[in-house]
Amino acid sequence: MTRYDAIVIGAGHNGLTAAGVLARGGRRVLVLEKNAGLGGAAAGYEIAPGFQAPRYAHLLHAWHPQIEKQLDLAANGLSFARRDLPTLALAEDGAHVVIEGGAARLLSGAAHPDAAAYATLHRRLVRFAGVLSAKLLETPPQFHRPDWRDLASLAKLGFDVRRLGAADAREFLRVLLSNARDVILDEIGDGPLAGALALDAVMGGHTGPRSPGTALTLLYRLAQGGGRHLPKGGMAAFCTALAQSAQSHGAEIRRSAGVAAVTVENDRVTGVLLDSGETLGAPVVLSSLDTRTTLALTGVEHFDAEAVRRVRHIRCKGATAKLNLALSGLPAFTGVDPDDLTGRILVAPSVQSLETGFDAVKYGELPAHPALEVLIPSRLDPTLVDGGGHVMSIIVQYVPYHLKDGWTAGARERLAATVLDLLERHAPGLRSLIVAQDVLTPLDIERETGAPGGHWHHGELAVDQMLTLRPVNGMARYALPVGGLYLCGAAAHPGGDIIGAAGHNAARQAMKAPQTKTEGHAA
Amino acid sequence: MTAHTLEKLLPQGTTAPRPMVQRGLAPSPFDARLRPLNLHQDWMPWAGYLSARRFDSVEAEYFAIRNQATLFDISPMHKYRVTGPDAERVMNRLMTRDVRKLKPGRVGYSLWCDEDGYVIDDGTLFRFGDDDFRLCCQEPQYAWLLDIAWGFDVQVHEESDEIAGLSLQGPTSFAVLEAAGLGQLATLKPFDVVKVDDDLTVSRTGFTGDLGYELWVPAEKALALWDRIWAAGHDFGLRPIGYAALDLARTEAGFVVCGVDFKSIHTALRPSRGRTPFELGADRLVDFSKGPFNGRRALLKHAKDGPRYQLVGLEIEGNKAPHSAYVYHRKKTEAGHITSTLWSPTCKRNIALAMLKAPYGVDVTGDLWVEIYHDKEGKWERIMAPAWIAERPFFRHTRRAATPPARF
Repeated sequence: MTRYDAIVIGAGHNGLTAAGVLARGGRRVLVLEKNAGLGGAAAGYEIAPGFQAPRYAHLLHAWHPQIEKQLDLAANGLSFARRDLPTLALAEDGAHVVIEGGAARLLSGAAHPDAAAYATLHRRLVRFAGVLSAKLLETPPQFHRPDWRDLASLAKLGFDVRRLGAADAREFLRVLLSNARDVILDEIGDGPLAGALALDAVMGGHTGPRSPGTALTLLYRLAQGGGRHLPKGGMAAFCTALAQSAQSHGAEIRRSAGVAAVTVENDRVTGVLLDSGETLGAPVVLSSLDTRTTLALTGVEHFDAEAVRRVRHIRCKGATAKLNLALSGLPAFTGVDPDDLTGRILVAPSVQSLETGFDAVKYGELPAHPALEVLIPSRLDPTLVDGGGHVMSIIVQYVPYHLKDGWTAGARERLAATVLDLLERHAPGLRSLIVAQDVLTPLDIERETGAPGGHWHHGELAVDQMLTLRPVNGMARYALPVGGLYLCGAAAHPGGDIIGAAGHNAARQAMKAPQTKTEGHAA
Repeated sequence: MTAHTLEKLLPQGTTAPRPMVQRGLAPSPFDARLRPLNLHQDWMPWAGYLSARRFDSVEAEYFAIRNQATLFDISPMHKYRVTGPDAERVMNRLMTRDVRKLKPGRVGYSLWCDEDGYVIDDGTLFRFGDDDFRLCCQEPQYAWLLDIAWGFDVQVHEESDEIAGLSLQGPTSFAVLEAAGLGQLATLKPFDVVKVDDDLTVSRTGFTGDLGYELWVPAEKALALWDRIWAAGHDFGLRPIGYAALDLARTEAGFVVCGVDFKSIHTALRPSRGRTPFELGADRLVDFSKGPFNGRRALLKHAKDGPRYQLVGLEIEGNKAPHSAYVYHRKKTEAGHITSTLWSPTCKRNIALAMLKAPYGVDVTGDLWVEIYHDKEGKWERIMAPAWIAERPFFRHTRRAATPPARF
């Protein structure tokens, strides 16, 4: 039986990040991926011959520069088509808004009436996010018998809050558990600008802007300033760079190698059993799968019933779908110069429209006006398409996982039609450009990536499932109760989006354990 | 809300009387027979049922347990049927002892713990077949069993109301069974369970530390069972007993009662009030070698750290039972308290179960004193009585386990 120092289940960006960190720590690492392609929710694919599209996520959001540096991603081929993409928030009345960080203006060149208030709000929220973002690359503290590191981390958090100054510290604590709608509309009027900010708070989740705790989600999204970056060569190139970074330090990656079980003896992992029947030995197994699947693979009997109950009750219902298009040409958006189509294009006309969309999802219905985040990556990176066409990647927020009458072929067509109708109001003739299209419902996303409920974050990113409560109380420090078993995916702190922090933190935590401190065989 | 306003809230035209709802305590399946026999009409609540505290005199009932035969209605016990291919795994996940060693046709006493290693409840597990179990216990456990069983291929069925139970205890109890035409039960060993016919199941179990049996039938057959046993017991001193007498006998037998001698962690608000099996003196019921079970990791740590408390048996000088008394070390330092006690008419001494706080009862076992207050004809007297840790059970008799059992 081949032996490794550590086995990582899943070659998503978190799994690959964990492998990169472990390999750099001198560990002999094997990454197992059930699919033929790498990347998990960050994967790219060929939607039609000659058209490279991101399958699920299409941007790096709040991507941590420290991980980028640590894993030497630049040397492994990662470059960016553009960092800090601008946002174009479309308005029904044509008064489209361009947002670049804290600066907002009307596309027409005129000043946005709320520009000053927005700048102030944005600056404040980014400051607040800074207090929290220090926690992203840390293992959450333990309150039960804390060690000096935990106490230092908590003290630093307290100190950072104090350092905001009396007024801002008070404001920070006031908004922390509040909802995104109140935080935003207290400062600026409702419209595409407010809608764009609110979409940041709810994207990928099963929440509306009025849901409690969405202010905190918004702060999470604004960590590292909230910038969004488009890797050159698309998400596929990003995943390739992550994989190369791990492999350059000796990590092995096996594709089409699904894990049937994590093997356990005397309350310690001994390795994994593959679908093929092959067994692989390792004293440490890191799972980038969701918590429930990880428990099931290991065997429920190895976990106390209370722990299983907590995991069963993780709120995890996706409300996000994906529509990918291959286009024969660049669509024309009414009143928008093609040069202004290089960033994110949002159809989220107001905070209220988002809340209305969420209302439909709550009752298992498809909203008439879902919110859209549209990206035409080929606009910035022509290498994605052979010839003159374009690819369009559309994230559709507020699509129920449990659609009332089920996800029939008709329902999928209805979803595509709803999205295209909505887009054609701004880009008439879009349909006539379509060469190929893919509809991915939350159900499809679950089936393909394993994300439970099709939820991006493997569990709602909400205050009751964050930090020391992520994924659940008692499992927040990456190590699961079975010795040598770790969570390293979006289910663990700090959660989803393409951050890589969960993989990084879990790997670091795993390397602290005595059984992994043995000299690596690779050396 | 007054009836008047309530009426206004009801939809127009709803005049039909609402269905009657059962209120108060429910009658047990044996109620029709118990009621006329209960001369004092002295009842107490037990798991939502009316349960007799005493029928006549507690003393007479107690002596019947030790010298004749007695019937006690145990129908209110919570009963759960766990069946299916994973039933053994699920019961083994629940229990601290190794259920795989429990053979079909046997009954096992065990307790079960939460993730912190604190006892949730104790009870008897009946194994009818390879994948067929019944759990009998004091506290409601349905929700907990569903939690334990999640992810396994089993059915958990609550049969508390469906199964009536009658406990026949005392030295002449086998003679009563024989007279009732159940002489074939002579071969039944302690902790055996056997299906006599389609309706009747009999186990050689009980809560008295004496010879005794428990008879189980569907609730609708309860009265027929009672009549059969009652008629057979006429010449063997058979009498019904209430909980008061049983409580004396079970303390002599050294059995603990959840809610009296320890607090179920599921009903304790303060986590520190939980007790581990070690602290209850049930070390032999914890089997670490059997593989994973609920609370195992925490119990390993508890085993390493040692008990914080220790439930012990005490013998106390004198004849005044130290109800709810404090236990002291060197007459000075508070060491714990008495949870159950009586002056045992059979052992002829003062006995008690006491919860001591470590190191008392663990490393410090001598120089213990019990502070007894008692009313001496209108005068309140205080006695500081010396006490000794004693082996449990306090009462032991070879007739309990003799197979075949003696007639009397």
